[in-house]
Amino acid sequence: MDALIAKADAIQPLSKKRKFNHKRPSGGDPGPSTSKAHDQTYNSIAKNTSVPKSLRPTNSLPDGAIPKHNHIANKKLRAELVRTSSHIAHSKAMLEDAELLLTGEAGKMEVEGDMERTWRVGQADIEQGAGQEAAKGRRELKLEGGPYTTRYTKNGRHLAVVGKNGHAATFDWQTGTLHTELQLQETCRDITFLHDHSYFAVAQKKYVFIYDRDGVELHCLKSHIEPTRLEFLPYHWLLASIGNAGYLKYQDTSTGQLLVEHRTKFGSCTTMTQNLHNAVIHLGHQNGLVTLWTPNLPHPAVQLLAHLGPVSSISVDPSSGGRYMATAGKDGTVKVWDCRNWKGTVREWSARGTGEPEVEWSQKGYLAVASGGSVNVYTPPSIHTPLPGHTQPPLYLTHPITSRPLTSLRFAPFQDILTIGHGAGVSSILVPGAGEPNFDSAEADPFENRKARREKEVKSLLDKIQPDMINLDPDFVGGLAPVSKLTTNQTHNGKSAQPVDVPFARLSRMERLKIQGKADDTEVVESDDDDGQGGKGDKEERERRRMRGKGKSLKRYLRKQRKNVIDPAAVAIRAKLEKQKQERKQVLLKKKAEAAGVPVAPARPSALDRFKRSES
Amino acid sequence: MVKISVLQHDPSSHLPRRPGDPTPIARNLDPNMHPFARARERTRALNAAKLDRIFAKPFVDALEGHVDAVEVLAKQPDSLTNVASGSWDGGILVHNLSQRTKLLNTPNAHKGKVSGLCFAEDSRILSCGVDRTVKIWRIGGGSDQPLSVLPSKAAFNSIDHQRTSPVFATASNLVHIWDENKTAPISNLTFPTSTETVTSVRFNLSERSILASVGSDRTFALYDIRTSKPERRVVMQMRANSLSWSPTMPTSVLLASEDHNLYTFDIRHLSEPTMIYKGHVAAVMSCDWSPTGTEFVSGGWDRTVRIWQTGQGHSPEVYHTKRMQRVTSTLFTTDARFVLSGSDDGNVRIWKAKAADKLGVVTARERASMEYRSSLVDRWKIDKEVGKIARTRHLPRPVYTASKLKNTMLEARRVKEERRRKHTRAGQSTPKAERKKVVVVEQS
Repeated sequence: MDALIAKADAIQPLSKKRKFNHKRPSGGDPGPSTSKAHDQTYNSIAKNTSVPKSLRPTNSLPDGAIPKHNHIANKKLRAELVRTSSHIAHSKAMLEDAELLLTGEAGKMEVEGDMERTWRVGQADIEQGAGQEAAKGRRELKLEGGPYTTRYTKNGRHLAVVGKNGHAATFDWQTGTLHTELQLQETCRDITFLHDHSYFAVAQKKYVFIYDRDGVELHCLKSHIEPTRLEFLPYHWLLASIGNAGYLKYQDTSTGQLLVEHRTKFGSCTTMTQNLHNAVIHLGHQNGLVTLWTPNLPHPAVQLLAHLGPVSSISVDPSSGGRYMATAGKDGTVKVWDCRNWKGTVREWSARGTGEPEVEWSQKGYLAVASGGSVNVYTPPSIHTPLPGHTQPPLYLTHPITSRPLTSLRFAPFQDILTIGHGAGVSSILVPGAGEPNFDSAEADPFENRKARREKEVKSLLDKIQPDMINLDPDFVGGLAPVSKLTTNQTHNGKSAQPVDVPFARLSRMERLKIQGKADDTEVVESDDDDGQGGKGDKEERERRRMRGKGKSLKRYLRKQRKNVIDPAAVAIRAKLEKQKQERKQVLLKKKAEAAGVPVAPARPSALDRFKRSES
Repeated sequence: MVKISVLQHDPSSHLPRRPGDPTPIARNLDPNMHPFARARERTRALNAAKLDRIFAKPFVDALEGHVDAVEVLAKQPDSLTNVASGSWDGGILVHNLSQRTKLLNTPNAHKGKVSGLCFAEDSRILSCGVDRTVKIWRIGGGSDQPLSVLPSKAAFNSIDHQRTSPVFATASNLVHIWDENKTAPISNLTFPTSTETVTSVRFNLSERSILASVGSDRTFALYDIRTSKPERRVVMQMRANSLSWSPTMPTSVLLASEDHNLYTFDIRHLSEPTMIYKGHVAAVMSCDWSPTGTEFVSGGWDRTVRIWQTGQGHSPEVYHTKRMQRVTSTLFTTDARFVLSGSDDGNVRIWKAKAADKLGVVTARERASMEYRSSLVDRWKIDKEVGKIARTRHLPRPVYTASKLKNTMLEARRVKEERRRKHTRAGQSTPKAERKKVVVVEQS
């Protein structure tokens, strides 16, 4: 028996070993090295199993990196938490290492002298400095068909353009091969690719049409009437459209169902964009409002008066995780907003020139503003820095375009290219530093082949996020659960040191209502007016009055309805009674004042008086 | 002077060098490049949990051959395939699991029930029955006759053989220690006060002189055969039906109790069990450890087979079929991949130890994806939907209603206890931990 127990003590994990096993002779060398030297098993495999030096962890984590969770009494939970947090700490450290592996080099434009300015550099100079291959990004497409709207695929390889008069084309932007060219011969307002370049949707005169890569019309979405703008939410497989009637419609492109339609109630809308990081749709309205929509809310999640006049363009910064939004209005101003805090703008300035300014952020956070006859580009740290007043941030690059109007701005993902749709076609300019140099093949790969694209289509369908998960805060998934309905409760005499958790279901009705926030804490409405002086006679008087007040129908209703639950009818009646009481009080005061011959002091004006209905 | 450089991707580093080469993969771990990473991972976890349930087809095969209920199962410790089963009709079968053949078929090995079976060295089997004999058989000898027959005075309930010596133990109204070479027991072990029958006896797997038994007098007793004396004894609230020593932790022993629970005891601290495993809704009749020591199987009167993770006292994997009756014996195979159950309907059933396991060749990619899926489910099991799918098991109606009823009763008992405590003087009655309630008394 003793042999068995000794054996078991030897096997148990170190942490559980009995205390006397921890005692070591003071002179001896403690630590695992001595034990390893004698461990035959270890020695036999050590030379075959050691990790190569290059793969060994370079630095161990500092002491404070992993929290100890000493406050948690439950041993199992504590061990689990420590394991999780050490895993997180290690993966964070490894993430830092992984950044060394990013090989791509972002473009840039730097001046040497103080007197030089980057915006003085024209496109011709950039082309010269960029080298032959990169200079191919600078193109001019002369097209007839009205002002053009453009759109890139997620990987930046393919471009779709559509003209106001119905000329639509998609092509591989890198190789310049045309996929399809359509003359739709009716007004076309917007174009967007669906999950990849094999399908695209066009907002035509009356409906939205979906075409495949070869230009074959696949679907006519008759529920989207007179669409003006389209957005495709790639991770939810939703095609969102807004139209002249002001209805925001979501169509699920994987199932074909019209998911939901929201009536915006702000009339015709021509400005829409999506926040890539939380799939919220931003709409800009004719009255200067910017509204944020999700499919599961019938009203805007956020409503913001951004401009004095119609909003002409909105864009959300993808570099900061969707934190900043830029809006441009027909009032000629460009504003940058912080989406976490809607109290005022971060920056605002008036755009040069007239017309409808357009804004667009690049992947690296460069902001392009097209207004009048030129495109201006601003760089990140200055546009995100709050600054009062109407000062324009330092200009990074400017490019004049003669053919007005400038209708669309798109940065090519993973390229330093800005594509401008305008009255005479499409032109693209080079903006050094605008594109993200390192792409991720699992998300968007400009070099993917057909097999990879097909695989990605299936994978992304499997990973499709349900539309009801769209929320302003995308990180709520996997967050902490709401606080449970368990309540702590002392034992009846209050002597117990340990508070007892009583489940919600076993609480009394009053306590349950209190937890739910539905308990009616207000006092029973008393009918007496508190104007009396102290004394016995007054008390009798009050009693009499209370009796008198009891019969009134409203109070009877209240008394009968009183179930300790706040319900709107009871609240309304209580408010009404309170109002009546106030009026009575006023009359009484007035009478008293008249009797005394003192002029009645008017009530102190309140800021809320302006909202009062006039009596007449 | 202005320094200008424009972003340019080098196609040679992103395209395959030669046709047929894999396309190089670029990675950027910047969170801004991966919007909705958590939401997408959750979707993947949800799909993984669903897939796991879709693929959960645990039943492999049923081994027939017995006319009456199967009473005992035994595995050959040094073989991956050989399993013996004994039945109420007195027959003993030795199955080869991989080929589904019978290596030994003796329909009338004992008169009446075969109550105990165990393997010995050299492919021999020891069997005992209610006909008061122990018989030793050889597998593959070609003959139906036992090598030897050892008679006794009392009907046997259980038998266990030491792994590497000719000593074995039987349980009847007391524990007998036998030597194979002698016809009579070499010693008897019993507690002085014990009068009841011993239902199961097992040698420790590490220290071969240590022996544990459970009896119908609600006791769990430990003996040392070198001193021929009982060492310690524990009286519990309800009797244990079966016991099993852990293969990896030498002092850990598992008891299948009549009170629907399983208990693991550390024999160093017999005053309370180290863990209570709750889930069965009727008496647990048998239990067996996996050779890894990380999980174990149990079968019970509620017609279900359950597979437990060590240290997780609830929500086991549940196996059941329409035709399977009360499970009297269960077994983990020696490769830890399969579970066997013998039940009242006379069949020995083979189940997978992991319900969604794929049998047959699994490629490295497939295994990687399966491992990824299982770790996803493990990571997201706190999520409401994922956890619900991963946790919920369809149960037969009688089991379901029984478990509901049991919950109601336990809850009522708990509430009553709480109220009673509420209305007694403070400090007079303290709540007792569930583990402290199990053992009535510890004797030595």
